[in-house]
Amino acid sequence: MQPSTRSTAVFAVAIAALMGASVVLQIARDRATPASHETARYLYLRSGTVIEHLAVAYQTLVADAYWIRAIQHYGGDRLSSGGSGRYELLYPLLDITTTLDPRFTIAYRFGAIFLAEAPPGGPGRPDQAVALLRKGMRAEPDKWQYVLDIGFVYYWQLREPAAAARWFRRASTIPGSPNWLEPLAAAMLVQGGDRRSSRFLWQQIRATADQEWLRNLADRRLLQLQAMDQIDQLQQIVTEFDRRSPPIRLTWEHLYRAGVVRGVPLDPAGTPYALDPIRGTVMMSPASPLFPLPAEPAAAKAPNS
Amino acid sequence: MQSAIRTEELTKDYAVGFWRKRPHRALDRLSIDVAPGEVFGFLGPNGAGKTTTLKLLMQLIFPTSGRAEILGQPVGAVAVRRRLGYLPENPYFYDYLTAEELLGYFASLFGYVGPERRRRVSMLLDRVGIGAERRMQLRKFSKGMLQRVGIAQALINDPEVVFLDEPMSGLDPVGRREVRALMLELRDRGTTLFFSSHILADAEALCSRVAILAGGRLTAIGQLSELLAFEIRGWELVVADLRPELIDRLGDVVRHHAEIAPGRYALELTLAEPPERLLAEVLGAGARLVALNPLRDTLEDVFMKHVAEASSHRMTTE
Amino acid sequence: MRAIRHIAVNVFRESVRDKVLYNLVFFAVLLISASYLLGQLTAGQDVKIIKDLGLAATSIFGLFIAVFIGIGLVSKEVERRSVYGVLAKPVRRHEFVLGKYLGLVLTLAVNIAVMAVALYLVLGYMAWMTPANVQAAWDAPALDPALLKAVFLIFVELCLITAVALFFSTFSSSILSAVLTFGMFVAGHFDADLKNFDQVVASPAAGALARGMYYVLPNLASFDVKADVVHGQPVPWALMGLATGYGLVYIAMLVLAAMFIFSRRDFK
Repeated sequence: MQPSTRSTAVFAVAIAALMGASVVLQIARDRATPASHETARYLYLRSGTVIEHLAVAYQTLVADAYWIRAIQHYGGDRLSSGGSGRYELLYPLLDITTTLDPRFTIAYRFGAIFLAEAPPGGPGRPDQAVALLRKGMRAEPDKWQYVLDIGFVYYWQLREPAAAARWFRRASTIPGSPNWLEPLAAAMLVQGGDRRSSRFLWQQIRATADQEWLRNLADRRLLQLQAMDQIDQLQQIVTEFDRRSPPIRLTWEHLYRAGVVRGVPLDPAGTPYALDPIRGTVMMSPASPLFPLPAEPAAAKAPNS
Repeated sequence: MQSAIRTEELTKDYAVGFWRKRPHRALDRLSIDVAPGEVFGFLGPNGAGKTTTLKLLMQLIFPTSGRAEILGQPVGAVAVRRRLGYLPENPYFYDYLTAEELLGYFASLFGYVGPERRRRVSMLLDRVGIGAERRMQLRKFSKGMLQRVGIAQALINDPEVVFLDEPMSGLDPVGRREVRALMLELRDRGTTLFFSSHILADAEALCSRVAILAGGRLTAIGQLSELLAFEIRGWELVVADLRPELIDRLGDVVRHHAEIAPGRYALELTLAEPPERLLAEVLGAGARLVALNPLRDTLEDVFMKHVAEASSHRMTTE
Repeated sequence: MRAIRHIAVNVFRESVRDKVLYNLVFFAVLLISASYLLGQLTAGQDVKIIKDLGLAATSIFGLFIAVFIGIGLVSKEVERRSVYGVLAKPVRRHEFVLGKYLGLVLTLAVNIAVMAVALYLVLGYMAWMTPANVQAAWDAPALDPALLKAVFLIFVELCLITAVALFFSTFSSSILSAVLTFGMFVAGHFDADLKNFDQVVASPAAGALARGMYYVLPNLASFDVKADVVHGQPVPWALMGLATGYGLVYIAMLVLAAMFIFSRRDFK
């Protein structure tokens, strides 16, 4: 009855086989299950205050758990493209996270970006983004970043340069804020948030960003601005071509054969631009990582103002 | 004839230490052979390797090297376990079972059922002196009562070989005498008994053969009479009405002396001179003889000598 | 086989004596008092809350039984050395492990069955007390047989946790086993989150690690259909079958590993 090497081998093989079978079953189960089963779409407790009491002495830890859940929720819905992403729990999750840990800076700032992002990349709720950041301001009044971020939302998603300018000015009065906020506010007021001031804003942020994600965001915004310029240029070319040539389907191929473009034009992320063959409108492809482009205030639309 | 218990070079190393494990030899090449029907005493101080040996024989631990057989089959074989009984050291069973239920459970593991099982359980509990308490949960049992239950469970299957690890521990003097009687009864029925103890009086009263273990090594093995058959190492002479100055005159022959009552002395004499001559001299000086006894080695002396040898051996080798 | 059966029955008897089943009384009191209080407070939704509470309590009480008794199964026996007496009997070590496991599964089954009956009794009483127009607003009827699906999967999950406890307790102390088992329970419920981890983290290595963990750790979230059942969402039979199959395979693996380790260890 001494344990033999043979029985050890038998055990090892059996255990490995069962592990394998469990993986196969898990994959089968994941396939068989509709996406809604994967993560609970129910949030039983919506009151951060209640959870705070339940969390006893581990509020920040529970906050971390909710923050991870918020990211999962956002990431999961973003993945399930095709418009099924509803992001309906994003705000409650972020709200709970920040109630449990009111100084969770990243949850306010990142959360606001998630919330403000237009569909399908996000729920398109700049109002909730502003509400979340205002909550952060109440928790930490001397954090100019929250004020600046509110300004962004007003400028970028809500298209209200005047309101954005007010928030930038307010941020500039907080000790420790960067010195470019004041000129930014002024430019915003004068020029109504045109691309030049946008570019200036994001270049400043990129140069002074102390965090990776903020730098990435600035890069993305700068690329989007570049794409908007390119689209305007391409639109001019296409419109000109359309006026001179007989009415045909407008495709990049035709334009290339006619020698108007040197190839299929790519956006700064390397995805071809889309061209509506009937109306001749140049657009960003929804497949591009830079999609969707922010809408611009009417005043700023003219390319060379 | 086939041995009841046989070990060959049985060795067990334990890894000790937390980070850097190094082997500690708990049992070193033990070879013993116990014949059927023997009462074999396994003696040694705490930590000598007695419990390790018993656990190896029960295959609660696996040997580093060497082998062990019970009734001619390798230890651990289920067929062998049907024929043996085992009392662990300081036995502990299930808190929430009664003594009756525990024995019933163990009996069922041997395949006893129904009235036969009930009969066996009740007979054994009677035998170890557990009366009405048998319907009580074991967590309410004293150490001595648990020991009795432990002995009863070791005998549930009428074993041919019984292993008892410190059977007397936790028992009061009455309990000891009862257990001793029980063991003699088993011996008379031909059961092989293998028991460990550090209480030598038990071994002296029960064993046909003993082994002495120290520091994981076997230091002596043999019949009690062999181990104790040393020639006498002196005499004890007790006399009354002795004048103290006489003692000095007797010289080196007197190893020790003590006045045990006024004028009454106990003298320990060496073997240097025959006691008759001294006796004549002492009586000639007007003293009265009270007693003259030979001094022999007790098992304790033998034990101490072997244990001391083993530890000095260890000190020189390590 | 005989030995396995006797050991299992003994585990059940011991846990009954250990007043494990007293938790059923707590369960009943909790449900009845909650239903009484809710009846005073809310209108209409109280049946849903009773279901939530009943299923959650079934799962939590069961978890405590699975962990604490599951640990006691083996490591407490080793620590208290009661295992010495049993293993000297004609019992193979793997029979001992299997008997212990089946005994606790039996205890859990009895426990959960009684809880399910209590839950249905309370729900039946509430349905009887509620006018039909209010009942019409419920997501699912009070005596919804689908509740049994949730209860059954809770049972499978608890059997799996018991197997985890058994596995740890074959080689570690009871306190450590309890900690590890609870850790495994928590990890098992977060496990589903690991699957899409690579979408959230930048490092491909971390993503691959998370995915590997997703498949190796027990995925306990797959047994959790409480919310669907309570809201009257259908739980397909295919899902039930796959979850149960997954549970059984994982349990078999853990029990086999426990037997393997236990058959080879020394009892110092």
